[in-house]
Amino acid sequence: MGILVPLYLAGLTAFSLPLILHLVRRTPRGRQEFSSLMFLSPTPPRLTRRSRLDQILLLLLRLAALALIVLAFARPFMREAASLTFADLTGKRLAILIDTSASMKRADLWQQAMKQAEAELDQLNPQDDVALFAFSDHLQTIIDFQKEGAAPIADKPQVVRNRLKQLQPAWGATDLGTALVSVASDLVSASDVQQSSLEPQIVVISDFQSGSRIEALQSFEWPKRVPVVARRVSVTNPTNAHAHALPSEDGDTSTDVRVRVVNAADSRSDQFFVAWVSGEALAAGSARTAPPAASAVPLRTTGGLTPSARQLREEVAVYVPAGQSRVIRLPRGVENLHADRIVLRGDDHDFDNTFFVVPPRKLEATLLYAGKDAAEDPEGLQLYLRLALANDPLRQVEIRSLDDAKELALPPELAPKMVVVSQPLSGELPATLKQYVERGGVVLLVPRDDETAASQFALLSDAEVVGVARPESSKGVEEPEANHALRKGSWRATPRSGGEKYLLLGDIDFTHPLFAPFAGPRYSDFTKIHFWKHRPVTLKTAATTRILARFDNSDPMLLERSIGQGRVFAFTSGWHPEDSQLALSSKFVPLVGALLDLACGGGEVADSVVVSQPVTLADSRRAVGVSPPVDLDSTDAPNTGGLTPPARQGHVILVRTPDGQEKRLDAGHSAFSETDLPGIYRAKVGSTETRFAVNLSPAESHTAPLNLEQLEQRGVRFGADLTRVERIDRERQQRDTELESRQKVWRWLIVIALATLILETWWAGRAERQVIAGGSMSQESSRK
Amino acid sequence: MKTATPAQSRASYIDPAALMRIKNLQLRAKAVVEGFLSGLHRSPYHGFSVEFSEYRQYSPGDDPRYLDWRLYARSDRYYLKRFEDETNLRCYLLVDLSRSMGFGSVNYNKAEYAKTVAATIAYFLTLQRDAVGLITFDQTIRDYLPARYRSGHLHRLMMCLEHQLAGTETDLGLPLEQVARTARKRGVVVLLSDLLAPVESLETKLGYLRSQGHEVIVIRVLDPTEVNFTFQDEAMFFDLESGRELYVDPQAMRANYQQRFSEHAQELSRACSSLGIDVYDLTTDQPLDLALFDLLNSRMRRGRQVARRRRI
Repeated sequence: MGILVPLYLAGLTAFSLPLILHLVRRTPRGRQEFSSLMFLSPTPPRLTRRSRLDQILLLLLRLAALALIVLAFARPFMREAASLTFADLTGKRLAILIDTSASMKRADLWQQAMKQAEAELDQLNPQDDVALFAFSDHLQTIIDFQKEGAAPIADKPQVVRNRLKQLQPAWGATDLGTALVSVASDLVSASDVQQSSLEPQIVVISDFQSGSRIEALQSFEWPKRVPVVARRVSVTNPTNAHAHALPSEDGDTSTDVRVRVVNAADSRSDQFFVAWVSGEALAAGSARTAPPAASAVPLRTTGGLTPSARQLREEVAVYVPAGQSRVIRLPRGVENLHADRIVLRGDDHDFDNTFFVVPPRKLEATLLYAGKDAAEDPEGLQLYLRLALANDPLRQVEIRSLDDAKELALPPELAPKMVVVSQPLSGELPATLKQYVERGGVVLLVPRDDETAASQFALLSDAEVVGVARPESSKGVEEPEANHALRKGSWRATPRSGGEKYLLLGDIDFTHPLFAPFAGPRYSDFTKIHFWKHRPVTLKTAATTRILARFDNSDPMLLERSIGQGRVFAFTSGWHPEDSQLALSSKFVPLVGALLDLACGGGEVADSVVVSQPVTLADSRRAVGVSPPVDLDSTDAPNTGGLTPPARQGHVILVRTPDGQEKRLDAGHSAFSETDLPGIYRAKVGSTETRFAVNLSPAESHTAPLNLEQLEQRGVRFGADLTRVERIDRERQQRDTELESRQKVWRWLIVIALATLILETWWAGRAERQVIAGGSMSQESSRK
Repeated sequence: MKTATPAQSRASYIDPAALMRIKNLQLRAKAVVEGFLSGLHRSPYHGFSVEFSEYRQYSPGDDPRYLDWRLYARSDRYYLKRFEDETNLRCYLLVDLSRSMGFGSVNYNKAEYAKTVAATIAYFLTLQRDAVGLITFDQTIRDYLPARYRSGHLHRLMMCLEHQLAGTETDLGLPLEQVARTARKRGVVVLLSDLLAPVESLETKLGYLRSQGHEVIVIRVLDPTEVNFTFQDEAMFFDLESGRELYVDPQAMRANYQQRFSEHAQELSRACSSLGIDVYDLTTDQPLDLALFDLLNSRMRRGRQVARRRRI
């Protein structure tokens, strides 16, 4: 015998009602005031035996009616089965989603998450099915649900437990939405296919940071039958800030890097320090502790490494209130030129305090100069070349004169990077140069004079010099020879009045890496450079030589031809004073630098990406110079516009990760997607090395807790968080309800109660009639 | 024991219950007395004070002015002819305002009835130019107004009657002693009370007054239920004065009560008659004017009785 709604039994307290009424009946009905009691004496209460019996019967009847009604409301039923055990519970299909994003590295969040997951597994019944998923920026199935037809895994919770222990938080961002959507749809489809009676449920163990991406939920209709239980883990010290470098503004020539410092919304501190730190210095300084390269967070607030005195001196203090961001300029001094990371200090959590920036490579190269002019000759070419390459902290170029042609035959690693030729090609030199180029060398041909030009252009087999051309008379009055003689040894800063004949650069291919730095409208003005002398060149039909720049009379100014693995660049006009003003121009130094970079290929830097974002390493040669479409979510490294090195067809790409591992990228593949660790990656494509920085997603640093209502607004149905005992209670209640609705004992109780009431009414009526009869008799007697 | 029943034969058109609804006690008294006076003019009341009283044989020292010379001429003996005194009356109204007087089974209680009686008599006596005094009491004396005849005195008297009931018990001795102490000249003392108190002490105190020559009229104001005890249901009976509660079944108790009540009444009656005091029982359901008529009627008879006694 069970009772469905025991609360109604409280109605039995109504039993006291007839009892009280009965007792009231026995006490005097009222109080009679009287002037004096001097003639009165107390009388004992008058009770006859008969009336007492009557009343008790009535009382019993009324009590019985009440009890029956109360019982009917309490909905009694006959229980058939014994009490429920856990085995009687309907099974559930539980998906445990564990957040393995970088923010879970904070404090003891991961330990908390493990405990939560263990607790969840403890609540499982044998008939339940469980799956374990880890999610950061992508969903990872650790252990899937039992497939239909597959042999069941023995002691699945234990298996899950073991796998759980192997899990570690990675460096990815949090894409909660996608994870939820895919698991939910998985659950629904699995339940539909298997016609399973298991109740699906998702348990998400996460820190639910506000940087989690939940957009995927927007376009997903959440299945009603899949409830989500959110288990939030939280830290006691929430202060977290993050610094990342911004792309330099157009036209910003300073070496300062703009750094945005973002403070989480729930931070308690607002003073932070940002500094450049060099990875090598760090590795040298922290050899004792020897942390993994990627997670080497140099500036720790608690324990570990302390900032060196120099770093402290160069730190930039920044005040950022909670929930806001500030952009500061972080000066990059000469000593920090090779620092590869920006480090933030002052918050409670270190996981996002390092931002990697690919440092400019220190270029050490040998350049051979083949020319007759002396190194100090102001009329020559070599002086200006030396001047352009000197005093560059990033390039250490040794310029030697080409004495021995054998030097060019050295293997590519040892061979000079570039050969500048200003003398006529004669003897074995053209053949040697050609071989050199075919093996990957770069040759720059600069004709000192006309005859030199003719021999030089023979190297470009599909171009030939037409003759020496000077600007035509239409440009101005022919300059007297005397003036020309006078001009020797001195620069003409501005065109003389009276009109000197000169040519300007007309058509420049800014898509070429040589001219790419000048592509911006502020730098694309080449009209200040006057050319007085050039050698007109005509290209043969179907020539492979490209014209990179033309004069305004459409004569070529700069030609490029790829031969073998190398290239040949050829100027038709020199930069020495006799030919042009080019060496005087501000464009000269960047141009030479770009040529050198092109020759060495060492300074090639790919765009910075966030963790788990693929990097395109190989590209066709034609797309050289075109920035790959890398979206970095406003955290583009300052080295945008860097080159994506051309992967030579058929080359195997070797990528060296920050923790020292080498990953091979097979021939034909160009996208490297194993960027699962923040740090600087080095990709070797043939002889060239490309570096790219991989950083944490800035969104991951928004560690303020996410309001779970936002998930609800996007349709996620949150379920009740029930323990096993609570579930069994609920189950029992459900069964009782069913049983009760089948038996419907209450109807019979009501019928009996009605019968009792009828009997009671009849009895009471009889008693009333007797009382009235007695009363009228007494009245009559009193009247008499 | 005299009852007020003789007056019932006379028609009275004024309902006391209606009179009680009029708030002004003085008007109420006036209405009653005027209605009463209208039937009184033909009565021998007025001739009372000039009426011949007695003859007395002359003894030396008597004032020769009162000699009846005609009798002397007939019988040659000296007799003094005496008349009733014509001094005006000093009347003291003793009104019991204890809580037992607050009981009433009709629309008004005994106290209101007694007050109306007192006010009516006071007004009536004032009309006759007699001095009226008032003592209200419970276990102590609440208000004391000496007997006077002057303007405003009646008003003060009425104000005193307006006072609320108080007190927990009735001490009849105290006001009677007070009157005995203060009223040296003979007068009339009208005691308005329910007399629900032991008779023994009352008898002594009434004896004082009688011995001083006062005429004492006892008007016993009773509620009909006090006489008949017509309660039906058993109840806790609550003593208004002492606050005592008693469970009583009236049907069982009625006979007993009536017996004890009548015993008390008889004892009271015996004590009063031994002192020459008239006791009138007024139940509150009786019309007031008839009650007053009986009162005055008995007063007249009393005068005759005294006259007769002296004559003998």
